[in-house]
Amino acid sequence: MAQTAAPELLPGTIQEAEEKPRSDREPGYVVICWNDPVNYMEYVTHVFQVVFGWARQKAEFHMLQVHEQGKSVLARESMEKAEHYVHQLQKYSLHATMERDQ
Amino acid sequence: MKLIRSTKQQLEFRLGRREKQVLLDLLKLYPCLPAARQPLSKSGGLPDPATGQALLDEALAEQRQENRRQLQALLADPGRFREQETGWRLSLSPSDLEWLLQILNDIRVGSWVLLGAPEERLAQLDEKTAPHYWAMEMSGQFQMQFLEAMQGPN
Repeated sequence: MAQTAAPELLPGTIQEAEEKPRSDREPGYVVICWNDPVNYMEYVTHVFQVVFGWARQKAEFHMLQVHEQGKSVLARESMEKAEHYVHQLQKYSLHATMERDQ
Repeated sequence: MKLIRSTKQQLEFRLGRREKQVLLDLLKLYPCLPAARQPLSKSGGLPDPATGQALLDEALAEQRQENRRQLQALLADPGRFREQETGWRLSLSPSDLEWLLQILNDIRVGSWVLLGAPEERLAQLDEKTAPHYWAMEMSGQFQMQFLEAMQGPN
């Protein structure tokens, strides 16, 4: 995945926001898109852009992950939101499921 | 099929007579993908998987019904296909194109399922498989041309 620049801390400031333990975070489900030999790469990229509102570069990154690694985790969400995304992706006939975040 | 004009509200395509017939023949195949084919989860680790799956199947069935209704309306609209000297002109809005892509992919994936979901290209076709193969390939061709038109010149 494309790297983002680490936030810069100024001298004398305290970093207040600590990352919560994994179990405390609300999202408990992952949305996964699985590879299949029938959907065109271009189409999959387009669907990711539409469903998640991603820029083309990010959509292509996940499309290639699906193509090369057999699957890609597209989102970590609450159950309701994960269900929504799976529905949206399946509406476009992509092979998508939701699984409990391990 | 060729994109001849594109604005934010409308895209116009020129189709040959045979191309138009192929597109109409394809669209008649919708819906092609078997209903309730897709699982909500592979691992089954959801709190109430049966309810979740039922809700998903219901939502997808409603979506198909809506797509079918929109498709029938589009095909019945005389302003969509206008005859020209050398063929036809098809006018679509960007949102028309979006659900048309869903419909064409349903036909593509559904035809692939009817072919037995092969991992590799079929080595031989027969009377039974040829129509599904034709539908899979032709819907893919239209999909790619619509996608190209939506993206515009890069």
